[in-house]
Amino acid sequence: MSRKWLSIALLLVISLSLLLFGCGTDQAGDDRKPDGAKGGGQQPVEMIRLAGGDWGYPSPYAHYPRGPGIFKMGLIFDGLLERDEKGLIPWLAEKYEIKEGGKQYLFTIRDGVKWQDGKPLTAGDVKFTFEYASKHPMVSSYIGAEDIEKVEVVGDRQVLITVSEPNAAMLYNLGLTRIIPKHIWENVDNPKEFTKPEAVIGTGPYRLTDYNKEHGTYRFEAFEDFWGPGQRVKVIEFVPVSEEILAFEKGEIDLAGVTPDVLPRFQNDPQYKIVVNPGFWGYRLLFNMGEYPALRQRELRQAIASAIDAKELIEKVARGAAVPGSAGILPPDHVMYNPDVRQYDLDLKKAEELLVKLGYDRLDQNGIRQNQSGEKLSFNMLVGEEVRLAEVLKEQLAKAGIEIKVQSVDMKTRDARVRNNEYQLAIIGHGGWGNDPDYLRERFAGRSRGGLSPSASGLRGYNNDELNNLLEKQRLEMDDQKRKQLIFKIQEILAEDVPEIPLYYTTGYNVFRPAKYDGWMFMFDHHSLTHSKLSYLERG
Amino acid sequence: MLVKIVEGGKEFSLPGKAGLAVILVVLLAAILAPYISIHPHNISSGPPLVPPGGGHPLGTDELGIDLWAQLCYGARVSLLVGFGTALLAALGGGLIGIVSGYLGGWPDKVFMRLIDIMIVLPDLPVMIVLAAFFGPSLLNIIFVLALFSWVFPARIVRSQILMVKERSYIKSAETYGAGVWYLLGKHFLPEVFPLVAVNMIRLSGRAIVAEAGLSFLGLGDPTSKSWGLIIHHATNFKGIYYTDFWKWWLLYPWLALIIMVISLALISRELERMVDPRLGR
Repeated sequence: MSRKWLSIALLLVISLSLLLFGCGTDQAGDDRKPDGAKGGGQQPVEMIRLAGGDWGYPSPYAHYPRGPGIFKMGLIFDGLLERDEKGLIPWLAEKYEIKEGGKQYLFTIRDGVKWQDGKPLTAGDVKFTFEYASKHPMVSSYIGAEDIEKVEVVGDRQVLITVSEPNAAMLYNLGLTRIIPKHIWENVDNPKEFTKPEAVIGTGPYRLTDYNKEHGTYRFEAFEDFWGPGQRVKVIEFVPVSEEILAFEKGEIDLAGVTPDVLPRFQNDPQYKIVVNPGFWGYRLLFNMGEYPALRQRELRQAIASAIDAKELIEKVARGAAVPGSAGILPPDHVMYNPDVRQYDLDLKKAEELLVKLGYDRLDQNGIRQNQSGEKLSFNMLVGEEVRLAEVLKEQLAKAGIEIKVQSVDMKTRDARVRNNEYQLAIIGHGGWGNDPDYLRERFAGRSRGGLSPSASGLRGYNNDELNNLLEKQRLEMDDQKRKQLIFKIQEILAEDVPEIPLYYTTGYNVFRPAKYDGWMFMFDHHSLTHSKLSYLERG
Repeated sequence: MLVKIVEGGKEFSLPGKAGLAVILVVLLAAILAPYISIHPHNISSGPPLVPPGGGHPLGTDELGIDLWAQLCYGARVSLLVGFGTALLAALGGGLIGIVSGYLGGWPDKVFMRLIDIMIVLPDLPVMIVLAAFFGPSLLNIIFVLALFSWVFPARIVRSQILMVKERSYIKSAETYGAGVWYLLGKHFLPEVFPLVAVNMIRLSGRAIVAEAGLSFLGLGDPTSKSWGLIIHHATNFKGIYYTDFWKWWLLYPWLALIIMVISLALISRELERMVDPRLGR
């Protein structure tokens, strides 16, 4: 008999746990304590907590080549220039001059800047940085080995950089290269392995005071002798978070990214502020044309583009918070976006026509297209954590008779395999789409600067002479309007050629409590509030 | 043997019968999956995240795939993994148990130490490593789970064989010239089988949970559509607990999993009671 009771008790426990489950979320809904004081002006705050995760040791050579790793390093290290809402602003360089039609750059280094170990910043440090970074490309590399001809120190506080060729993006690249101290790095031969405490000494507004790789936690404290604008945030902590929204509601973190489904919780509530990201973070579908000659057929790539319904992808996977990819690569929010390029809306008829033209005119018993010699349109698709995105793509392409086999690995493995061209098709998502359009040259003309960032992963086996010429030309064009025209033309060619397919650019929502901290800002070409250095500093 | 179990079912108490009924239902759902699921299980058949009711009895997930169909097909995966693992483990473990118990001597020592090692090894972490190493496929998962399950039947079988071996009727059979195979078929296996059967049921419950766990962690076969994978996708949906979606997307696969494992546990208790009189009454 006791067994009967036991089973009844078991049932009770289950139903009870269910009840509790339900209650738990309901309660969370009422847990909104109104904050008293409203922060007016630019009041400093003691601490900001943000969602953590391991993005590597924040030295310019050891962090992980993605946004969260890059910007943590950027809190410690300064560039000669910095980015605000509108463009580049003077930073470690008080002023700069472009000479000889873009061949020379003269930076005047600010006086009285101190490294975090107390030593003064000199023009020698700047010279050393550019020479060192040419030899050892930084993780987030802006300059390549051949970009710089020579660096000279002029007088006391000036540095004259002579570049090999004029380049429209060079000011951006030189300006954002992080300056590292000569007295620490000059004897380091293997910077990637150099992870001593000295490796994170910069001139930036924050010092790293704690880093735990296993827990993915970081603690940054304001550097008292920072030369620039005062830090509004004294301490920035990155804490492990399993459910971002829950942590935000409980006040464990001070900013969260939310999906449209959860948005109503925060709308119409004065204690929260919602900000929409610009679409500078996107997914692209890559074709490995080097190893797989079939993918070199332009019509095949066009057919795939025509078979993809970006609207469905956005509705289902991004829950509506995204804009469809432009076949011209540059996103609509980009300053040089060309709205008139050819776009590939869902058109299965067109896809079929193209495929039949290529000879894939018969279907096998599973509905997969094949040509006369029996070669099937069947591809392996490498994805990271975007399994759901891949599943929808698989379904869409199946309608055009293209078979997709999804292979899912973790994010870091996927990034590495894309970097090493070990894939057939791949989906990769990353930021940086708003950067200077010279990144198109990196991607499509095989001109990587040696950085490891996924946005720089170029395509192998793709070559278009006309495109290459234009990409070289835009680089040398120092006139903004003329350059814009070239970039427009480049987008047209890319849209026609489809060397890769941008799927969509996410426009997520950020929620924060303005009463706690309201200094958040977007850099003019970047998608994330937390990545901007100026988000944490006093603004003039 | 199956007949015996079904016959035994009549002696089951109420919870045991309920467990048996549930497993039968799940088995039927798995076998008849293509007929009873109205919608396809791998492609979308409606708008995303529709609540239960209307055309979709249990609603849809974020890709618009019918959840009922996914559960039916998921039952196939769960049962396959559960019973596949149990069968593999029972075969391998039983064989090792017999060899080690009957031969004794150094093979016995080697196997026993090996079993000790396997018991000491924490299974979940090792399984995660192995699953990541071999890559996600259903067969690999069954194999990995079996690798960690064979020790239980092996120990039980060995102790049983050790005991039976010394019985006088075995001794006399041996003196009349009975060979190893004869003894095995006529005496050892019938003695050992009920115990192994009980153990198999228990192992299959364990394997189902472990597979769901691995899938939940994202180490399962991403195309297999098991229950654990549904839970994985649901919990990975950002902010699911702040929406109504968990009420069907997460709840139903979770319930299915729990009910199935509890039923297996109830059945194994019943069988245990019948086989082992010491536990009975």
